[in-house]
Amino acid sequence: MAGGAMDEDNPVAINVTPLIDVIFCLCVFFMCSFRFKQLEGKFDTWLPKGKGSSGVANATDILKEVRIAMFWDKAAARTIRRMGTREVRDDTELQTLIRDSYRDLMLANVPDAPVTIDAQADVPWNDVMKVVNMCKREKIDKIEFALGAPPPQ
Amino acid sequence: MKKRKKADVGDPPMCNLIAMVDIMFLLLLFFMLGADMGQRELAELVLPKADQVKPDDKKEKTTDKYTTINVHHKYPGGGFSCPINESGGVCRESDHWMYAIRGREYTAADVLPRLEEEAAEAMETEIDPKAGQLLSGRKILIRADLAAPFGDVNKLIELCGKAKMYKIEVAAAQPPPDEMGK
Repeated sequence: MAGGAMDEDNPVAINVTPLIDVIFCLCVFFMCSFRFKQLEGKFDTWLPKGKGSSGVANATDILKEVRIAMFWDKAAARTIRRMGTREVRDDTELQTLIRDSYRDLMLANVPDAPVTIDAQADVPWNDVMKVVNMCKREKIDKIEFALGAPPPQ
Repeated sequence: MKKRKKADVGDPPMCNLIAMVDIMFLLLLFFMLGADMGQRELAELVLPKADQVKPDDKKEKTTDKYTTINVHHKYPGGGFSCPINESGGVCRESDHWMYAIRGREYTAADVLPRLEEEAAEAMETEIDPKAGQLLSGRKILIRADLAAPFGDVNKLIELCGKAKMYKIEVAAAQPPPDEMGK
């Protein structure tokens, strides 16, 4: 594969063939196993201390929060999102609704109002994270995940 | 100055390998530095994208008080295969989804003892006044696949709470700059 050059000029001849062979092997190994790193980040979802599950919210509590219900439609393999009785398909529309509902609660003097994501167990994590991301865009920090099944449709 | 010997027509052709070796070394260096040999990458999963995530703090992860839990679909092989997942669909077979901690796989039924072990390694020294008990200072990073059922992630968060861990974070991928805000 490789050979020495200019033997007459160089008093100490080094055979670089094995070195190049090893470098080739290493290069092939790293090239095959190479994958571009995806930049990752995180959302803090620290649990409230000493609160535990507060059970199913009653009717008056529901008026003090922004609640987004999510259902998994197995037949259509898609997530249905509802705010109140309204089905929201478009992301921009959902974000506007979250913003308006949250602003209404602020005006109604409910400063600690959370956004509650009430999703069925089968809903893909991606769809839940989409809603969390929308809330973060609206600078809403208090986001809660409801435990148990959402109310019937 | 010594004059270089003119090459005879009959001499075998010689090539200078130094330039090639230099380039090979540079390539090797690039691939070695770019390779991610991290343990958490062992789980093949695709994170959901979110443009509002806090950037990852690598220094923090090198400390002992950090546990990464991957929520991923079972890998094919050993007689197991899931055509729905392999075709990119949303698999909802409950026994196909696993939790992985430091390369070991667990189900919802057997992950709690492991979480308690992790929690015990970093217990806080003082009783928390709000909780009225000793809590664990260990941070948990949940890396869930974008198709993972929300129920499994929710269950994991609930189990972390049972194991007295409350510092929980969920991971997401930062979208490339041209996709930001979509």
